[in-house]
Amino acid sequence: MQIDWITVSAQIVNFLILVWLLKRFLYHPVMRAMEQREQRIADRLNKAEAREQQASEQQQQYQHKTEELERKRDEMLIKAREQAEQGKRQLLDEARAIVAETRKQWQQQAAQEKADFFNRLKQETAEAIQAIARKALKDLADAGLEEQLIEKFIEQLKVADKDLQQTLHHNTGPLRIHTAYELDSTVRARLTRFMHEHFSADIQVEYSTTPELLCGILLVSGDRQLGWNLNEYLDDLSERMDEAFSSVRPSAKQED
Amino acid sequence: MTISPDGLIFQQWGWFSLNATIVYTWLVMALLTLISWLVTRRMSTGTELPAWQNLLEVLVTGIRDQIRQVSQQNPGRYLPFVGSLFLYIAMANLLNIVPGYMAPTGSLSTTTALAICVFIAVPIYGIAYQGPVNYLKHYVKPTWLMLPFNIIGEISRTIALAVRLYGNIMSGTVIVAILISLTPYFFPVVMALLGLLTGMIQAYIFAVLAMVYIASATSLHSGESDDEQQSSLTDTPEKDNRTSPNTD
Repeated sequence: MQIDWITVSAQIVNFLILVWLLKRFLYHPVMRAMEQREQRIADRLNKAEAREQQASEQQQQYQHKTEELERKRDEMLIKAREQAEQGKRQLLDEARAIVAETRKQWQQQAAQEKADFFNRLKQETAEAIQAIARKALKDLADAGLEEQLIEKFIEQLKVADKDLQQTLHHNTGPLRIHTAYELDSTVRARLTRFMHEHFSADIQVEYSTTPELLCGILLVSGDRQLGWNLNEYLDDLSERMDEAFSSVRPSAKQED
Repeated sequence: MTISPDGLIFQQWGWFSLNATIVYTWLVMALLTLISWLVTRRMSTGTELPAWQNLLEVLVTGIRDQIRQVSQQNPGRYLPFVGSLFLYIAMANLLNIVPGYMAPTGSLSTTTALAICVFIAVPIYGIAYQGPVNYLKHYVKPTWLMLPFNIIGEISRTIALAVRLYGNIMSGTVIVAILISLTPYFFPVVMALLGLLTGMIQAYIFAVLAMVYIASATSLHSGESDDEQQSSLTDTPEKDNRTSPNTD
């Protein structure tokens, strides 16, 4: 157990050299490498964090955009639906108006046709009835019937209005009497006598036959005439038929 | 039988004798430097590490963590000194398995040299951290009466540091040598293995004790100083417990 002080000093120097060598070749490089690595890892982590933040921001942006788009789409859908609804209503209204117009026209046309038909029916019916009546009267009528008619005519003259009687009194021209059949002389004489007795003695009476009268008598004095025949009855019939049809037409209209 | 490598002299130049202690110290230094240089000349700063670089990084990180744990301070300033102590002693003891090699740590001259280095480093670090007045004040704490005892303690722990390492390594060498002469097979190998373990433990103890001494010098009186930051970093009662025993 000896201490060689020369060796001790040499070892001290050796150790100090070793400290320097290891510091130069071991600690310093290793520490630097580790620090650099830590720095790089920290940088990478920072970058990753920044990127993550960026990504999340972008995601948020996209989400906002998507929501905006969805909102717009909904709005557009609602708008389109409203427009479609409005258009539909408009079209329906138009269609209804057209239908109403068409119906109105059709109804008018139908009413017109009906009226035409009734008019024609009335006319034809009247014509037919007249024709039948005329034919019947024509078949039945004869001089005897006419004589009765003339009797009746005379009765009428008796009760005729004053105005006509005055006209006949002051009549200067010839008095013309139309009949459907030719009157025989006795009847003529009777008529002439009646005229002379009632109105004026110097009255001139002329007789003539007019088949259109059917059965009856017509007295013509100047611009005035007085008559009595079956035509009047027939005209009366026609008027009544008109009235009857008129009363039927409204009820027929109500059925539409 | 040569117990100390000091006795094995290769060359003599006047008063200077080139003995095995110095030669094998050079060998250890060369090995450590060569390995460090080989590994660190192409350092990777990426995440892919070569196996050797990884080994060195683990080693350096381990030493740093130990220093931080012991000193409760930033290990950067202590790493070269304390780390070199550990690496030198560990490598010197590890090479004991090589036949013909004699550990320089088995020489009292070497351990004395290392202890003197620690003895000098402690006031250097202490003064560097606290200033000369604050550092010297702790020799008269708690009273002036304690001044001689503090000085004696300072010297005695240095001697203990030197002798502890020397005794452990030298005894291992001596036991193996004796056993070889008695039972040449098996037992010397077991004892050599035990010697390796002892060598590693002694390297750790030497480095940690050096660190404890330095830490006590740099932080012991910081509680009394006005430096709030330093006081917050340190744990004075623990330091007291650690510094008081001079354990083997």
